[in-house]
Amino acid sequence: MGAVTDDEVIRKRLLIDGDGAGDDRRINVLLKSFTKWCNSPATPEEGFTQHQRMHGTLAQCEFSMLKTLMVYDMNIREMENYEKIYSNIEENITSAHEKISECKKEIQRAKRIRKNRQEYDALAKVIQQHPDRHETLKQLEALDKELQQLSDIKENVDAKLELRKKQFHVLLSTIQELQQTLDKLPCHFPLDDDKLETDGNNQESPMENGE
Amino acid sequence: MARCVETASPILMHHLLHMSVFSQSFSPCGKFLAAGNNYGEIALFSLSAALGPDANELSQKPILTFTAHEGPVFSLLSTDSHLLSAGNGEISAWSWAELIKKCLCALPPSLRSSLEIPEINAMALNPADNSLAVGGGDNNVHIMDLENGAFKSVLQGHTDYIHCLSVRERASEVLSGGEDGAVRIWDTRTSQCVHCVEVYKYETCARPQHGKWISCLTTDSDWMLCGGGPSLSLWHLRSMSPTSVFPLSGCQRQATFYQDMILTVGEGQCVSHCLMGGEVKAQIPCTPHSINTLAINTNSTEHRVLTVGGSSDHIDVFTNLSYKAFSLRF
Repeated sequence: MGAVTDDEVIRKRLLIDGDGAGDDRRINVLLKSFTKWCNSPATPEEGFTQHQRMHGTLAQCEFSMLKTLMVYDMNIREMENYEKIYSNIEENITSAHEKISECKKEIQRAKRIRKNRQEYDALAKVIQQHPDRHETLKQLEALDKELQQLSDIKENVDAKLELRKKQFHVLLSTIQELQQTLDKLPCHFPLDDDKLETDGNNQESPMENGE
Repeated sequence: MARCVETASPILMHHLLHMSVFSQSFSPCGKFLAAGNNYGEIALFSLSAALGPDANELSQKPILTFTAHEGPVFSLLSTDSHLLSAGNGEISAWSWAELIKKCLCALPPSLRSSLEIPEINAMALNPADNSLAVGGGDNNVHIMDLENGAFKSVLQGHTDYIHCLSVRERASEVLSGGEDGAVRIWDTRTSQCVHCVEVYKYETCARPQHGKWISCLTTDSDWMLCGGGPSLSLWHLRSMSPTSVFPLSGCQRQATFYQDMILTVGEGQCVSHCLMGGEVKAQIPCTPHSINTLAINTNSTEHRVLTVGGSSDHIDVFTNLSYKAFSLRF
């Protein structure tokens, strides 16, 4: 672990050094010139110029330091931005997943509904083939009426038939009785009217008795 | 097939050329497919391997093939723990756990029952009372209790052999369709025939040029699909009337309700998607020229595929209903 981090550190330092070779060298040169200036027994003008030069280098170093600080701030802010975008995208992904599952459920429901509709249609087709209920009821009523009329007629005819039967029965029975009474009584040829009258009287009484 | 050319003898190629897949069944976990063919073999395919991200040609071959019966395996059915296979007159039950572990070397089937049924064409499971309806060549439907393997009752009435069976769960009824052209509805509790519909007598469905046999029967508790010689038609069971007739030219061998559609296979080289109104929405081409079996894996959500098998040694797998994804090979 230590070796890895050392390598990383070395690599990083090499990288930084490679880029900022100017900065590091500048600091070293400044340090050297500062010590030289402190220790040099040079004239005040040269000392002053050296002093100015050192200020210049110092300013340059400060400038580059500020620059790197700003870059560092910028990096931090970029990181935050990316984090935000990342979490946003994650939320979108989860909501899309939910929507997908919702839609799948919807599809299942829709398919069920379609199946039901098709079943209704199929049944409706069959039902259409059968005649309408109102019409059939009307037909039934008409038939009922006809039936009623016909049965009335039948009753009338029956009654008439009964009456005729009875009348014929009465007629036939009277004829039969007449026949009988005629057979009972001896049949004389009616030469005198008295006998005929008496016969007639005799006939009347058995008829009265017969009735 | 290229692999076969490299490694197989002409006999094996001949064998594969004349193979027909008659039946399929998915395992209860949904990860395996068992397919039975006309040679009496059952092959077990691993769906998770074939559908996985690193699938290759090898994963489309069976992980296990064994000879289950002497005659063709016309019907396969899965219960929660066993695979039931029907051969010539015998039903064998194989434990799924052991099949998956592939230790078939010392394994006779867990249960084998022999009957005097000449050939068993169809089996249907009635989960309500844990019984199995078996229909075959002796014109009868036999009901077997799955707990003890004994036969509870016989439903007699058909005058010719039975092609297909279906169970109507809500009303505890069994529907059977046979060569005599009749679809009979039996009440499982009283073993009586409740209805008998002779489909070929209805003018809208009948196709006298094909015959009167019913080879395809499925039910949705309220609706029934039946077809074969007569056109595939949708029937409303309460009113026992045909509501739609599907204009498919071939004779249909298997149909199923799926969501709001009807999927059906038969003599054409395609899977037909139809709507309940009677229109054919799509016909998806597949490998076998004539398809015998169609199965949808409802036991698993991530391996929800449609597989079809027929007069070929390829079993087509559809991950999306609109197109064929790949084929499993025997």
